[in-house]
Amino acid sequence: MDLTPRTNDESSAPSKKKRRWMPIVIVVAAMSAGGVVVTKFLTSAIDYYCNVDEVGSRSGCEGERRLRVQGIVEEGSVKQQDGGTSFVMVFNLEKIKVVYAGDPGGVFQECIPVVAHGRVVDGTLESDRIEVKHSNSYVEKNKTRLDTANKEAAACSVSEG
Amino acid sequence: MTPNSGTGTSATRRLGVLVIVLAIALALFGLRFSAEDVVQGSTVRIMYVHVPSIWTAYIAFILTAICSGVYLSRRQRSLAWDRVAGASAEIGVLFVAVSLVTGSLWGRLTWGTYWVWDARLTSTAFLFITYVGYLAVRRLDGTHRQRARRSSVMALLAILEIPLVHFSVNLWRSLHQDASVADPNAKVKLDGLMLFSLFLGLVTFTLLFVWLVLHRQRTMLLEDSFADRGLDVAIAERRNEAGAQ
Repeated sequence: MDLTPRTNDESSAPSKKKRRWMPIVIVVAAMSAGGVVVTKFLTSAIDYYCNVDEVGSRSGCEGERRLRVQGIVEEGSVKQQDGGTSFVMVFNLEKIKVVYAGDPGGVFQECIPVVAHGRVVDGTLESDRIEVKHSNSYVEKNKTRLDTANKEAAACSVSEG
Repeated sequence: MTPNSGTGTSATRRLGVLVIVLAIALALFGLRFSAEDVVQGSTVRIMYVHVPSIWTAYIAFILTAICSGVYLSRRQRSLAWDRVAGASAEIGVLFVAVSLVTGSLWGRLTWGTYWVWDARLTSTAFLFITYVGYLAVRRLDGTHRQRARRSSVMALLAILEIPLVHFSVNLWRSLHQDASVADPNAKVKLDGLMLFSLFLGLVTFTLLFVWLVLHRQRTMLLEDSFADRGLDVAIAERRNEAGAQ
């Protein structure tokens, strides 16, 4: 129950109406400005990763800093030895060797996009964290589909990028 | 509806039965009839709950904003709009939480980690926190109309986060994949029964949301009526005290 006293001063109505719109206009303007800043100027800060071909060339992807690098695991490049894993990531025809101390989790496999966290030392990404980046395609697992998927996967290294 | 009546009607009871039947069908299609994914295996089945959850949350928050806008714009401000807005937001928060939990489990199995601070996950967490804040604002001291006015303004601002969350995967590079169904290029990338199961999940969760909102907004009406009656009793007692002196 609202017990607040009310006044019926009609003469002040138009100015009140104007005043009611002002905060809305200010909020919309501020949010629009914020939206432009976030979507146009903070892109490199908000982007989760750099692609392999951008390491050392794109703003925010300088080689001397800790990076998250995204690329496709090259077919036949995965090697596991001494409890570690090494493989080659490729994107836009550029390649980088990745060394990871452990067994990558998730659905890590060849011909799949991954994001590797780490530092580039002498042209090799020394990674301490691997994340598998799943695509937005969902393919049923049955024999016919599997054959097709295997054929597509066989060509992944040359078609990606 | 009188304060002593329940929150169900024959229509809501029928709707409830329909939701149960659809939920059983979803469980059958999601867990048994639809195939495993060629890469993810059975992990893909989490999608039949994860995607409908965030879809329902979007609907809930849009409904909250619409009802809040109607409440503020009408000369005769009916608190019914505010109650639907509040009920919808509560259920929306619940569904965002379900989406975050199921997404986190899916991420552990697919990405190899429960959580990353990429644009999609971070903006979704922010959306969740915003609407928890909205619910907190509704609990502030004040009259029903004060509650309605404050929360309506907040709902109209909070709704601007929805496009940010949804399009975050297009605006920025994210570990989270792009949309599979709500793709701007309209290319559906789900095989056979996977798409049907997902569609069934969307229908089931949407109807469940409607059922929950109907009951919750009626519960809120009972709460408001109870609070009003309590105030009326307090005023009457005070008048009696004043009359006795």
